[in-house]
Amino acid sequence: MLDYAWLIFVPPLAALLVNAFFGRRLGKPAAGYLGAVAVGLSFLVALGIFFGLLGLPAEERSHTVTLWSWIHIGNFRPDFALLLDPLSSLMALVVTGVGFLIHVYSVEYMKLDDEHHQLDARRYARYFVFLNFFIVAMLILVLANNLVLLYLGWEGVGLASYLLIGFWFHKPSAADAGKKAFLVNRVGDFGMAVAIMLIFAAVGAQAGSLAFTDLYRVIQQSAPLLAGVASTVTLLLLLAATGKSAQIPLWVWLPDAMEGPTPVSALIHAATMVTAGVYMTVRMSPLFELAGNTLTWVAWVGALTALMAATIALTKTDLKRILAYSTISQLGYMFLGVGVGGYVAAMFHLTTHAFFKALLFLAAGSVMHALHGELDINKMGGLRAKLPTTYRTFLIGAAALAGFPLLSGFFSKDAILVATFEHHAYLLYAIGLVTALLTAVYSFKMVFVPFWGQPRDRKLFDHAHESPALMTLPLWVLAALSVVGGLVNLPFVATLEHWLEKLVALGPVGKPEHPALAVELALLAVSALVALGGIWLAYRAYVQQPDLAVRIRERIKPLHTLAANGYYFDWAYNKLVEGLWAFSRFLAGAVDQQSIDAAVNGLARAFGWLGSRTSRLETGLVSLYALSLFVGLVVVLGYFLATAIIGR
Amino acid sequence: MTLPTLDLVVLLPQLIVLTAALLVLVVDGLSGARSWLLAGISLVALLAAGAAAIWLSLQPGEPRRLQAMAVADGFALLFDVVIVVAAVLGVLLAYQSIPRISQQVGSYYALLLLAVVGMMTMGAALDLIVVFLALEILSLALYILAGFNRSEPRSAEASLKYFLLGAFASAFFLYGAALVYGATASLNLEAIAAALAGGSRSPAMLYLGIALLIVGFGFKVALVPFHMWTPDVYPGAPTPVTAFMSAATKAAAFAAFLRLFLTALPTAQPTWSWALAVLAAVTMTLGNVAALRQRELKRMLAYSSIAHAGYAAVGLVAGTAQGAGAVLFYLLAYAFMNVGAFGVVAALERAGEYDVARGRLAGLSERQPALAAAMAIFMFSLTGIPPFAGFFGKLYVFGAAVAAGWGWLVVIGVINSVISAYYYLQVTVEMYFAAPAAEAPAAAAAGKKGRAVAKAAAPSPAPEEGKAAPAPLSRATAAAVLAAALGTVLIGVLPALLTGWIAQAVQGIF
Amino acid sequence: MQLVLFFVLALLAVAGAVGVVLSKNAVYSALALLLNFAVLAVFYIMLNAQFLGVVQVIVYAGAIVVLFLFVIMLIGGQLAPDALTAGSRRPARVVALIAGLVALAGLAYGLVSGALAPQTGQVQGSGSVQAIGRVLFTDYLLPFELASVLLLVAMIGAVVLARKPTKS
Repeated sequence: MLDYAWLIFVPPLAALLVNAFFGRRLGKPAAGYLGAVAVGLSFLVALGIFFGLLGLPAEERSHTVTLWSWIHIGNFRPDFALLLDPLSSLMALVVTGVGFLIHVYSVEYMKLDDEHHQLDARRYARYFVFLNFFIVAMLILVLANNLVLLYLGWEGVGLASYLLIGFWFHKPSAADAGKKAFLVNRVGDFGMAVAIMLIFAAVGAQAGSLAFTDLYRVIQQSAPLLAGVASTVTLLLLLAATGKSAQIPLWVWLPDAMEGPTPVSALIHAATMVTAGVYMTVRMSPLFELAGNTLTWVAWVGALTALMAATIALTKTDLKRILAYSTISQLGYMFLGVGVGGYVAAMFHLTTHAFFKALLFLAAGSVMHALHGELDINKMGGLRAKLPTTYRTFLIGAAALAGFPLLSGFFSKDAILVATFEHHAYLLYAIGLVTALLTAVYSFKMVFVPFWGQPRDRKLFDHAHESPALMTLPLWVLAALSVVGGLVNLPFVATLEHWLEKLVALGPVGKPEHPALAVELALLAVSALVALGGIWLAYRAYVQQPDLAVRIRERIKPLHTLAANGYYFDWAYNKLVEGLWAFSRFLAGAVDQQSIDAAVNGLARAFGWLGSRTSRLETGLVSLYALSLFVGLVVVLGYFLATAIIGR
Repeated sequence: MTLPTLDLVVLLPQLIVLTAALLVLVVDGLSGARSWLLAGISLVALLAAGAAAIWLSLQPGEPRRLQAMAVADGFALLFDVVIVVAAVLGVLLAYQSIPRISQQVGSYYALLLLAVVGMMTMGAALDLIVVFLALEILSLALYILAGFNRSEPRSAEASLKYFLLGAFASAFFLYGAALVYGATASLNLEAIAAALAGGSRSPAMLYLGIALLIVGFGFKVALVPFHMWTPDVYPGAPTPVTAFMSAATKAAAFAAFLRLFLTALPTAQPTWSWALAVLAAVTMTLGNVAALRQRELKRMLAYSSIAHAGYAAVGLVAGTAQGAGAVLFYLLAYAFMNVGAFGVVAALERAGEYDVARGRLAGLSERQPALAAAMAIFMFSLTGIPPFAGFFGKLYVFGAAVAAGWGWLVVIGVINSVISAYYYLQVTVEMYFAAPAAEAPAAAAAGKKGRAVAKAAAPSPAPEEGKAAPAPLSRATAAAVLAAALGTVLIGVLPALLTGWIAQAVQGIF
Repeated sequence: MQLVLFFVLALLAVAGAVGVVLSKNAVYSALALLLNFAVLAVFYIMLNAQFLGVVQVIVYAGAIVVLFLFVIMLIGGQLAPDALTAGSRRPARVVALIAGLVALAGLAYGLVSGALAPQTGQVQGSGSVQAIGRVLFTDYLLPFELASVLLLVAMIGAVVLARKPTKS
């Protein structure tokens, strides 16, 4: 039955093609239903894969399905093959499950464009084409059995993200955000590409397929082969992960990515794609363990990103921006978890985060829907009367995000903190706790400011209306999952841990022992207290004494400015790009034909040797070209002659 | 004196194409300008030549030879296929636009076919004289094709520049061949290798010869600093010619380049591979950086083609069978994606236009979604994004270089493909994320409803003041673009269909 | 004897080459070129390459220089120089000169040090018409035929270029 796993690609691919060619004729909302049903079918296949694996004995839960032989170049022979194991099936479930709900939500949401006009049928269909394409690419990424195929999916989701961020392309900011996301991701992809080649260069003879199972085998049996390159490779992979998962230093694209439609933010830029970096790191964890130091880097990158993004989130008033920085922060948690060896904790948090963050984004979309695209929480207020369903679900999501005891986020965040504590990384643990506090504060800021109190903008408030059932239904499902998601891996039950057991055992280092029961309970209590404390602080600052927040802001003005400007990362990158651009102009000026004139003329002016500027049409330039050819020749000749003379 | 027996089957693809060229000339004289017949003959002949090449490559046993002059091994025949791909697409693109600029359509197809003969012969040549003559045949034909638009001074300019510099480069090549002859007393590639096996008696002369040969080939494939002609000739020549020559000339020149350096000069490899590595690095970097600033499509693609010559040269630097196979694969991928990109440009071109500004792509995804999608595929493929052909080309080339220990060169190459993403991306941004320039004022004036109005008017964009609208997409052009897009995707999805075949084919040149 | 003859002729050849470059009048340049070609023909014959010598006279001295002269006469002798180098480009010239000198120095060094010594080997037979014809129609048949294709291309090209451009 597992051999039919490829069926998971068929429905979205088919829907994609139908919508691409006949989307306009299908019209609204048929194109949307088609896309949603297709992902639903994929989810059923993913369930099939899950139960198929469940039916196998634990040690046999790693099944490779080769679809076709993809590339055969000497030793280098990655196949188009799927690896079905607990890790990939978990990811497939999350991708298709959350993906399905968001598709359903989109059917209604995307009927209107960003300015609340009717979206024409062609663009509507195109949206679902892109969204289905994303699902396909993401499934390739998580189900790939080798690094090259993973890279294919990696680029594919990047492409989908770029197309969808720029979906409202008539807004220059959206088109720019798309471009920014794509280019920043290329930097990360560069790390990925070089890492793959280095791995192949090191172990091509043993594992030319670059399949994960082969790599694990090589790591276990002949680790020295990889030991030499492991540090370089893992650092490059970390670079790739920071690009895709928006970590320091490549996080700058994600906040801008909120220019895309809100369901896209929910699906791609919160629940699934951005977790690809975490998934990849967990997938390659045996190699990371081999490299040793890199894991420390991973942990610190994650912890610092988590803390910094949380402080930025506190300063923002745009609902989606807060959620974006919150996503970055939570992804930082996952990296922290990976870095301290808590792979299960990281995957656990990844799963629960997918539920509650998708929920928060969709609920934010529902608010936007009600308020005609308004996102500034300072213009909202009292919305819980007008949008009861949205309010209730948003509250559940925010509570889960804040780590309110017994909700899913509480358990998963605690799992990461426990793992950090177990790893004796107390400084990291402290950073994690502070971040948890801040998280609770901004989570409930998002609840108190827009939903409680008095309406701040009467006109907006009067226009507000609850979203239709097709949009609230996914909210309720996600809310339910956010509540019970913790069951996946309750402490002391550890279902997920058993499910992912085999993966964890692959590394050469192995896992530290669980701490004593008392310690674990104490840590649990600390986490709960921190979350509740944060919520209380938010209540004080945003409900009881609204001027308190202002006073605090005044007190720590420099810090606030720093955070509000995103720690000047964007500014630095702009300077860097400007510099590069000037450099390229300079370089191009020296090479580019058009500026050969200019360069020559510059020379002429400097030395007064050359006459007037020669136009491009003039054949006189030919002699200059010939001269360049000749100078090149002399250089090459000189090199060869020198070699000949020195060589003998 | 005994006359030699000639195994002419070796040159079967060339002979088919040559015959067709003559037939085209005769038919042209008989029936006047019946464009479809001439194009039909050319297409059939090219496809037949391709089929012949594939048939020959499937023959078991030792490859057949024509004396010591030419060989029909897998390497030559697969390069024939690459050239046929570029030529078929070139003929399809020419079908619409060449009759618009010239009445000598027959001569056009004849020259194109003769250029193909020269190109195919370059890959098959085992003797420096044959290489040189083949190089001259293709060059001469291309000089004239580049200047085929007689009513456009820039076309004549392109032709003249190409001719003057090309003659210069040919002289270098010839001098290099003479020096290699001086050092080894032979012009036959295998005999040269044999003569060098025991060490050369006059290494300086040999190395000077190699240097001159590098310059000669470097000019043809446009390696920096021998690239100067490219940014003038590519935009100046009629677009179908540019499309054809950008891919086919590179393929032919690299075929001879590879065979000469890997068959005849492996003993000097440590020396020439360093020279070529530096040239490749410089070429990739300068080509990409210069392309960043271009706002016109043909000129941008000209610089991009320089950069791609650099990528392909990386495979040659590797100097292994894997590297040679990589170059072959890369050039096949390049033939599809680059000719396709030029095909889209040709479809957008207006009569009497020198180059197509990038801004003209604005809103193409709304006006002609299929064309825009094809262009996006070509751009992503040229960037090297999976699962398109260009990605595997780069992967293969860089993989070979890493395996041969040229890590630093690969890092430069990968950084370069990151840079190149920027300008290829600009094209897709323009097509998908930019409102058509002509409609922008209307939309602004009409306020919020403007977009809907503009969209309704989109299928028939009003011609901009004074300029003719691009001719409606002809079936031939559409077929060419479609075929190129299909090829780009297919190679990307199923590269293994080719790689095994290629790996086997390139064994012959070692 | 041969050596004396060689040096006398070599001086003549260099004088001819220098004359081509230095002469202000294009007709004189062409005539100096003729001198250079003729001396080269004598060299070929001295080297036992009779065929090459004759071809040199027929093709270069006979056809090409005459063609040059025709063109010069048609467009006027004074106009000709520098049509392609438009204006004075002293920096370019200086670079060209330096590059040329470097190349020359390299060659000279190579020759003097013996690094450029040619592979010595006796050429089979002589450079007679018969010998060349024999090789050309047996071993070098393919190049011979390719040359004919090349001429065909040149011919079509000439026709294309000679026709008046037609606006359609």
